Amino acid sequence: MASTVIGAGITVEGEITTDEDVVVSGTVRGKLSAKEAVTIEHGATVEADVTGGSLVVAGSLTGNVVANERVDLQQGARVIGNVKAARVTIADGAQFKGNVDMDV
Amino acid sequence: MASNESIIGRTTRVRGRVTGAVDLLVLGFVDGEIAVSGDVTVDAHGLVGASVQGRRLVVRGAVKGDLLGEEAVVLEDGARVVGDVRAPRVAIAAGALVRGYVETGEGNGAPARASRSEAAARPAAQARVAPPPQASRPSPGGPAGKPAPAIHVAGGGGSSANNSGHGRAAARRPPPPVVPALKKAKGQIAKKKER
Repeated sequence: MASTVIGAGITVEGEITTDEDVVVSGTVRGKLSAKEAVTIEHGATVEADVTGGSLVVAGSLTGNVVANERVDLQQGARVIGNVKAARVTIADGAQFKGNVDMDV
Repeated sequence: MASNESIIGRTTRVRGRVTGAVDLLVLGFVDGEIAVSGDVTVDAHGLVGASVQGRRLVVRGAVKGDLLGEEAVVLEDGARVVGDVRAPRVAIAAGALVRGYVETGEGNGAPARASRSEAAARPAAQARVAPPPQASRPSPGGPAGKPAPAIHVAGGGGSSANNSGHGRAAARRPPPPVVPALKKAKGQIAKKKER
């Protein structure tokens, strides 16, 4: 259960920092940094640099991503930006433009 | 459930503006303006550093900024509010701390809300910022009612609604002239001399 929910219809313009899980269904512009899992749901719009423990994207994300564990781009995701994580998966049907850095 | 309500979690800090059309529950920090068309709840651990606007505001935590409710503002036990509170209905429970101007009534949630009473009462509420001119004893030349409310506001820690009331009462009755006070002082001196 996520502790922070940016629901559909909510817009946050600025910086979000948290130690908890974050679920974004609405809009975030600025910066998003979490220590745990970040989920960008289908229909969500994130125009921000994102850092987190792990990241699951099903919505639209514009910005650079750094995750400690993994990044999963699900079907329907639309990501423009660089992704840096130990493990990165891109599902069939996900749109992606950017660099991938898996600490090789 | 999650789609209808947004939650700013306990350890979450938002620096910036939060806007939207749904309900918002603040358990953490928001250093920025909140303006939603749904309900806003600031939990006991929640902290908002700027103005909050919503349909119905429930505060159990701390808000440093104005509260503007379209329907109601409810300040519950444990609420700490520094700022003005405006809504058609305002409830302040025992244990809630408020410092600021409070106004209830219809039309306060609407954008055009500059009523005459508000314009008259606001200077009294904000008078604590300005230094009271010639504080305690006005000179006989200028027994104006204006310094008196400023003194009341500066001294009183109560709600501003009461302060504005004091201001009006003081304006009707100007402070007593200096002459009786001098008579009293003379009498005391005389008594001392007699002893």
